[in-house]
Amino acid sequence: MIRYALTRLGLLVLGLAVASVLIFVSLRVLPGDVAQLIAGTESTPAQVEALRESLGLNTPLPVQYLDWVGGLLRGDLGTSLLTGAPVAAELGDKAQVTVPLGIMSLLVALVIGVPFGVLSAIRRGRADGTAVGVGAQALAAVPVVWAGMMLVVVFAVWLGWLPPQGFPRSGWADPAAALRALVLPALTIGVVEGAMLLRFVRSATLQAIGQDYVRTAAAKGLTRTRALLTHGLPNVGLSVITVLGLQIAGIVVGAVVIEQLFTLPGVGRMLVTDVATRDLPKVQGELLALTGFVLVVGFLVDLVHRLIDPRQREAS
Amino acid sequence: MLRRTALATSALVLGALVLTSCTGTSDAPTATGTPDPDATLTVRLTLEPTNLDIRRTNGAALEQALIDNVYQGLVTREGAEDGTVSIAPALATEWTVSDDGLTYTFSLREGVTFHDGSELTVDDVVDSLQSTKDDATLQGSADLAGVSSITAPDASTVVVTLAQPNIDFLFTLTGRAGLIFNAGDTTDLATAANGTGPFRLQSWNTGDSLVLERNDDYWGDPAGVAEVVLDYIPDQSAAVNAAVSGDVDVALEIDPELQSQLEGGDFDLRTGLTTDKGTLAFNNQRAPLNDERVREALRLSIDHDALVEALGTGETLYGPIPPLDPGYEDLSDTLSYDPDRARELLAEAGVSDLDLTLTIPSVYDTTLPTFLVSSFADIGVTLEVDSVEFPAWLQDVFQNKDYDLSFVRHVEARDFGNWANPDYYFGYDNAEVQDLYARALATTDEDESSALLSEAARIVADEDAADWLFLSTPIAAVGTHVANFPQNSLNVRMPLAETTVSAE
Repeated sequence: MIRYALTRLGLLVLGLAVASVLIFVSLRVLPGDVAQLIAGTESTPAQVEALRESLGLNTPLPVQYLDWVGGLLRGDLGTSLLTGAPVAAELGDKAQVTVPLGIMSLLVALVIGVPFGVLSAIRRGRADGTAVGVGAQALAAVPVVWAGMMLVVVFAVWLGWLPPQGFPRSGWADPAAALRALVLPALTIGVVEGAMLLRFVRSATLQAIGQDYVRTAAAKGLTRTRALLTHGLPNVGLSVITVLGLQIAGIVVGAVVIEQLFTLPGVGRMLVTDVATRDLPKVQGELLALTGFVLVVGFLVDLVHRLIDPRQREAS
Repeated sequence: MLRRTALATSALVLGALVLTSCTGTSDAPTATGTPDPDATLTVRLTLEPTNLDIRRTNGAALEQALIDNVYQGLVTREGAEDGTVSIAPALATEWTVSDDGLTYTFSLREGVTFHDGSELTVDDVVDSLQSTKDDATLQGSADLAGVSSITAPDASTVVVTLAQPNIDFLFTLTGRAGLIFNAGDTTDLATAANGTGPFRLQSWNTGDSLVLERNDDYWGDPAGVAEVVLDYIPDQSAAVNAAVSGDVDVALEIDPELQSQLEGGDFDLRTGLTTDKGTLAFNNQRAPLNDERVREALRLSIDHDALVEALGTGETLYGPIPPLDPGYEDLSDTLSYDPDRARELLAEAGVSDLDLTLTIPSVYDTTLPTFLVSSFADIGVTLEVDSVEFPAWLQDVFQNKDYDLSFVRHVEARDFGNWANPDYYFGYDNAEVQDLYARALATTDEDESSALLSEAARIVADEDAADWLFLSTPIAAVGTHVANFPQNSLNVRMPLAETTVSAE
């Protein structure tokens, strides 16, 4: 088990190293730079060049890369070229919106995906099971943006229960207001992700229903449903954990889109703005942090899977 | 000497624009109730500044938020209801201009303090103007290139002398070039501010809002509200929803397609005048667009009235000078919608199967490029639309001039000089226009200056140097409980000192 964990950890570090190169190189390919944007359209080429020099944009790329990685190894994610603010501090600030948003989205996805997925599998062939299945198909096909707009129209504009956009300026000082601001965005991401999870849970459950051990348990006197719940579902749970690892990446991407739509001052909106302003040191710090997060989640999922699945434990 | 002006695209994450015209104050009699001096005014804007350093960073967003509210110059712009702009006193109480137009003498206002408590002195004025002039990396530096000396003969007088007359000089001082900072200030202007205006900067919540609070030590009448929240909401439907649900008191740049959601409610919908020119640039240096017949053919294929209707807002504009600027004249007689004539012109020019590319920043709506594609297709010209991010536009079009056609909104006022600057990305080079523009600046007679500008503008329009597709007239939704909200050119100036909010 420890050897397994160390191997996985090695892969994680390797993944981060590769990601840092890819991120660095792909950002340097973008046309336009921050010096041109700061100087604007009143400037002469000579002024822009002077600005580039003072911002360190003329340093050879390998040196820039090594400077960045050197900083990373010392725990420094870099600083913004536009405001001089440390990237880590800004990330921490914006994470106060994005992390709760992600957790709430995940909860919504689980609440929708797991029970309804199991239900639609058990009730397969009946009206309610079919209805859930069809509904999930339809929801999974819905663009996140459209889902968000519909939710806003109903719950914010018509009913007036929840704010249509924005986040309280006082942040979590007023927890109720902050939570309310995140409900619709989390529902938007969660419903779409949940519909996908539902379909997965449904097929995993259907597969479990057909397994020998479920049939055996039923033959020993349990009802089919009980046999499924006690013997089948733990196996369904294992595959759900794997899928959740992937869905967390989906939620991160969803947050980037949804934070624009709901004007939430989170990591996603910051990232989009920073790309548009070509604040590359900031963008690369943010992207690496996000990549690291997704990789760490994958790493943990692998470990958890290993820990709770006796078959895998014994195999090692 | 040509005055350099900035160019701009608005509504984008990093607009460029600089100088613009008028700000005006509306006295729409809609406000009800008694103004509440403790109120907060929340205004929806689209374009958030990238940082707060107004001395170094280009972009309309900074001017819109900070000039007149936080930072001030010796003089400011005062807009009349009809949009015309005059120069009004700010940190100078009065000024005189010598007969030869070379010497400007300003009397400094007494009892003005910066937000950090230090007193405004003539040394601050001299230092601000001199450093802006000397440091080419500061915004507005080029505007002061024609200044030969800045001195303070006594503790309440500042004298600025020019090498040659410049009729736009006072107007220039209402922009970034003329802003007054505290000499030797150590404030980090990228994230903080220290000005003399009616509001001080309270906080900047990046990705969300900029909050200003009333400056209780202000030299003039105290601001009408205790706090101003500039709420940056880029998404159009989110903005309308924010207005409907009462999250904002005022929302600027309302999408015309969504305005019906605000009609009949607690908002007064107004269109404001601007100097924001939707400019379809032709690369005048590149074949076949260096042939005037080709440029004219392209212009003749566009039905401008139908375009404005499709866009849902704006007015037609057929020349480079908008109605709010000196030298405006109705040039609609220089162009008509005539696809048949356009096809003839293309044939005369010996051009067939023409393929052109339009480079357009991705922040703009697709209605416009779609309209142009079908207009040009009608005369047998294939238009490919290359939608790029604004930084890419700056690099490819503005800097490298590598384009056929380009569209951006040129927001700033009095930017005719771009047509007299052959190095500008338009690549338009006409000695007569350059001479007329130089004379228009050098005269001290405003009427003569306007006449010279009109003459030059007519030549530029006649030669089809570009197409001025429309003039923006953005829609603002102003809450009925808000009074004295400014009306015009809000994309670059939004003075809020007199605005009040009634208790509801």
